[in-house]
Amino acid sequence: MRQPSARRTRTGYLFCLPGLVFLALFLAYPLLYNVWTSVHDVDLGQLLGGAERFNGLDNYRSVTDDPAFWHSVRLSLVFTLASLLLQFTIGFALALLFARPFPLNGLLRSLLLVAWLLPPVVSGTLFRWMLDAESGAYNALLEPFGLSHDWLTDPSTSMAGVVFANVWVGVPFNMLLLLVGLHTIDPVLHEAAEIDGASAWQRFRHITLPLMRPVSVTVLLLGLLYTFKVFDLVFVMTGGGPVDATRVLSLYVYEVFFTFFRFGRGAAAGLLLLVVPLLVGVWYVRRLRREEEPAGGAV
Amino acid sequence: MRAPRHPWLLTAAATAVTAVFLLPVYWMVKTSLTRPERIEAPDPQWVPGPVTGENYSAALGYEGLTRALLNSLVISSGVVALTLLLGVPLAYALARVRMRGSGAMVLALLVAQLPPAIVLAAPLFILERRAGLTDTYLGLIAADTTLTLPFTVIVLRPVMRGVSPELEEAALVDGCGLPGVLLRVVLPLMVPGVVAAAGLSFLIGWGEFLFGLTLAQSPDVQPVTVLLNAFVGQHGTSWGALMATATLISVPVVCVFALFQRFIVGGLTTGSVRG
Repeated sequence: MRQPSARRTRTGYLFCLPGLVFLALFLAYPLLYNVWTSVHDVDLGQLLGGAERFNGLDNYRSVTDDPAFWHSVRLSLVFTLASLLLQFTIGFALALLFARPFPLNGLLRSLLLVAWLLPPVVSGTLFRWMLDAESGAYNALLEPFGLSHDWLTDPSTSMAGVVFANVWVGVPFNMLLLLVGLHTIDPVLHEAAEIDGASAWQRFRHITLPLMRPVSVTVLLLGLLYTFKVFDLVFVMTGGGPVDATRVLSLYVYEVFFTFFRFGRGAAAGLLLLVVPLLVGVWYVRRLRREEEPAGGAV
Repeated sequence: MRAPRHPWLLTAAATAVTAVFLLPVYWMVKTSLTRPERIEAPDPQWVPGPVTGENYSAALGYEGLTRALLNSLVISSGVVALTLLLGVPLAYALARVRMRGSGAMVLALLVAQLPPAIVLAAPLFILERRAGLTDTYLGLIAADTTLTLPFTVIVLRPVMRGVSPELEEAALVDGCGLPGVLLRVVLPLMVPGVVAAAGLSFLIGWGEFLFGLTLAQSPDVQPVTVLLNAFVGQHGTSWGALMATATLISVPVVCVFALFQRFIVGGLTTGSVRG
């Protein structure tokens, strides 16, 4: 009396249909449309008049000829690498601390996560205030050491300011994933090594670190994907400035598209911005599938 | 790991770390409760002194704020509704029905999370403008749902797999169709998962900024995140009202998180990439 499986399969497809149609309309189509725009000469006037002209790779050429674009690429690299390094190291240290059982562990851990859940616009506003030249709390703390500084409005330090805020946002997530990784390490390994006279550092170096490698790769890749496309936080904190000191790629694309309304160019720049996440993402998904969907596997 | 010898020492260390880490959040709330003339004193006060609601009434006195909060509520509720409506059947079919191409669909959902929001915001701006969807709740809800839907399906699918198949088989034998099985057997069993997925979608919709900035020019539909950013520009120095607004935006986030914490943590580590 089982329902015929052909019918079940048909119903299954029907269940998928609305969601897939939606994603096709609002995700796939816009992205493909972006490809179309990127090879046409489109600005606001032409868009309304409907007189877009095919111009081949001109948009790509003018983007890659633009020194500001390469400047943004460099800034994105600096922003991403500095953020990854710092949030991973700090996250790892915190994970090691929170991996040990102690009273209030769960509560304190949840409190840390609040930082990461705040909308980026709120965090951005908050760090503008914390780093404010005259009355910012951080400057008040740094004052006694003669280190107070106008962090965000000085072009030479504004990048440090936005990285600092981004690291603050990223640390809890890094800690969380690394903590999950630490819990999968069999404690017997550490006990055996300790009996054999291994110091805490040796145990960390020769047991914890190697066993944490797969999780670490995941954390760093997710961090890379996330950090590379950060927009809100930087936009709110500095708007890309002062001058162009923090105009990372996502802000560059925003500016070309929404400030100058050079749609064709903006589309081309956007697609160039897509290259890195796509490469990393495809590599990562393949790696995940090879591990056959581990429980709690990410992306 | 073995029980440490001085667990309370570790608690003390972790408390200190957490306190340092959460200083900005404390400072936000503290500033929002400090009398305006004391906020920008050269020596910041570490405790608010006489607590005041002045900043909140100033912020709420700005007519745009209540409207924007309401807009955000409408948008994020819409995101939740649309995400569940589209995502629950999709996740169920991908979890339980043998279909050709389901592997490809899961892969597509993973890849769907990769494009940075700005890459999507640009073409959506043109297309929604042509379709008359800019400056509408619907346009914003649809844009935000591109963030939440792939994510929700990826997170819900394993949860649905956890429901015992025997129950479904029994219902199918009793002559229940697949929709009936989903509605009457599976959904009730996974109410906690679905509710938490709703919570997550709410958080994402509530905090979304870029689509709000690009697809909503009119204050009638602009979410509160966009308003906060506009405040930073206009009243750059009125930190009290700004921090009051930031706190108001954060309160629902913290409440939703406190309610669905366990699942949200699991879900976010399983799911999200795009932002």
